[in-house]
Amino acid sequence: MGGPIASLNPLNRADGSASYKCVSTGSNILGSVNAPIELPGRRDALKPEEATIEVFVKPGTAPGGVGERYIEGVIRNALGRLILGRENGYPRRGVVITLAIVGGESVGRGGSYLPLLPALLHTAALALLSASVPLSMTLSATVLAVDSSGEIIREPSVKDAKAATSLHALAFTSKGQLLLNESEGAFDFGTWETVYERALAICHGTSTLSSDGDVAMTENVDSQPLEGVLRDTVQDQIHSEYAWKIDAA
Amino acid sequence: MASTATAPAPQPIPPSLSLPPSQFARLQPHAYLLAHLSPPASSQQPSIRANGRSPSQFRVTSANTGSLTHTNGSAVVRLGDTTAVCGVKAEILHTEDIASWSVSHSSSSSFASNKRRKLTNPTAKLGEDRTDSGDNESHIEDFSLLVPNLSLSTGCAPGLIPGAPPSALAQSMSHQILSLLHTSRLVRAEDLQIWYERPNFGPEEPEHHNESEQMDVDVEQEGSDEASIQTGEIKAFWVLYIDIMIISLAGNPFDAAWTAVLAALRDTKLPRAWWDVDNETVVCSDIVSEARKLSLWGLPIASSFGVFEADAAAGWRSVTIQDAEEERKLAEGDRKGIQRRWVLADPDGYEEGLSQERVCLVVDKPQGGDGKVFIVKMEKNGGFAVDRKELKELVDISTRRWEDINQILKQC
Repeated sequence: MGGPIASLNPLNRADGSASYKCVSTGSNILGSVNAPIELPGRRDALKPEEATIEVFVKPGTAPGGVGERYIEGVIRNALGRLILGRENGYPRRGVVITLAIVGGESVGRGGSYLPLLPALLHTAALALLSASVPLSMTLSATVLAVDSSGEIIREPSVKDAKAATSLHALAFTSKGQLLLNESEGAFDFGTWETVYERALAICHGTSTLSSDGDVAMTENVDSQPLEGVLRDTVQDQIHSEYAWKIDAA
Repeated sequence: MASTATAPAPQPIPPSLSLPPSQFARLQPHAYLLAHLSPPASSQQPSIRANGRSPSQFRVTSANTGSLTHTNGSAVVRLGDTTAVCGVKAEILHTEDIASWSVSHSSSSSFASNKRRKLTNPTAKLGEDRTDSGDNESHIEDFSLLVPNLSLSTGCAPGLIPGAPPSALAQSMSHQILSLLHTSRLVRAEDLQIWYERPNFGPEEPEHHNESEQMDVDVEQEGSDEASIQTGEIKAFWVLYIDIMIISLAGNPFDAAWTAVLAALRDTKLPRAWWDVDNETVVCSDIVSEARKLSLWGLPIASSFGVFEADAAAGWRSVTIQDAEEERKLAEGDRKGIQRRWVLADPDGYEEGLSQERVCLVVDKPQGGDGKVFIVKMEKNGGFAVDRKELKELVDISTRRWEDINQILKQC
């Protein structure tokens, strides 16, 4: 199974951007982040001491509808806990995250956005990193489908997701805490716990906290943990950006 | 704070720097709720929320059905001060008006086989027999036979402007309700089908019109597939427009809205309808006794929770030190009776403003089953406090809530 393909800074004008392609679900997302920017006439009176986070999701083939509003809210709540909106220069300003679905199958009316959610979250996280927005942690997410025989499918295609009895999208912080869980379909708690174990292994590998507090990444049956994929993407980008310095040394 | 201390207090007793609770609540909402939840040990007071409830206690819920006479089904649900009104209106959709009908219907036999496979899924095992929805269950989603819409622009809360376009909250709740209706398969496709029964000139009496759709399918399953396909044809569908108005909002609109939808759908009656071959149209009977109720699959009930953290800075601390060691310290504190976070069931508007992390659970308990609960939807977002252990406890609380709401809906 091929891992995701990600790159940083495909867009020149935005403060930060990322493109992300998940091979198994077929989703392809382009994301941009502008931060901190002045929001016209929008002073969030309720929380003036924090940055306002705005998320826009643009579907590939259709105009946005209620499904997009919903998933925007989910992404905003998840990232709101990671973005440090009180750092210098951020209060009263805005962090605007735009995610365009450029490939893969689109979601119909009342359809489930869960198969796309990990790709959207990863794109947003990478774009935030490339825009140097202060974050307390990063995240990694995955989606799992449980089919009628109780088997867990990792990152199902749209067709598999439709046929599944339950669908679970989970996101973990880089410290291994459960940041987000969205499950739908009929399942019992035992099923969810196996899904949780599997998702944690996909995101973090069969990780063990070493004595110095670093998460030791180990290869696992599912190929490289997603956390590592994101880390490598950023590392490669930094390496190429500082090539002049590294070469000179 | 000093400036408010000078505000005239009703009683002459106050010593310096004391203010009435209502002002304290507005000025220092976080400290106010925290003071209620963790009272000083010397005061001998129990830990209780500012609204007088215990952390896992829901507000008083009441439901009323059939209040709107011009709808097919309606309900008013009150959850404390949050009130939702839901009306269900049925309209007829002719299959000839469905662009993809002829295509999908003729090919229905080809996807019937893979739908069949789905029948052996665990949901069917969980007490209820969902088998006869087999071939048709995709109709509801494919042809948009359920159209929920939630409106918050009613002046229900000071922050929401009446008459304004639907806010992001209203839109996302409309979507949540629609996708929950789809994933829980609450409404059965057979209830929404309007059939044309070809007169059967054989020895059998052509007496099955409406009440016998289930029989039809039974016959089909017994093996005489072709016979039943030839005698009947779907000519139209009922489309249910489910409109929800939140007329008063004091937190937790989703639970109120979903309970209202459930109650209204349980109350919904559809008139007997059939295809009149001479007039080439659908005809409805106006005899009330012939109208039939929808038969719903199960009773998925929603319960929402908010997480309140004692540390006001938890939401924006730059270094989160919640690693394994910190977690252990927290557990130790719990044992000593020092609680750092509370999961509040059914948060009201005041508590919602103070909690970043939300959990929403929808559980169902099949009738006549072995009492096993299954989860239809589990959402958790915006924080790290609720993990596996906490979610397990919340499922238990939601199960108790299911019993309560089940009783309330039975009585209304």
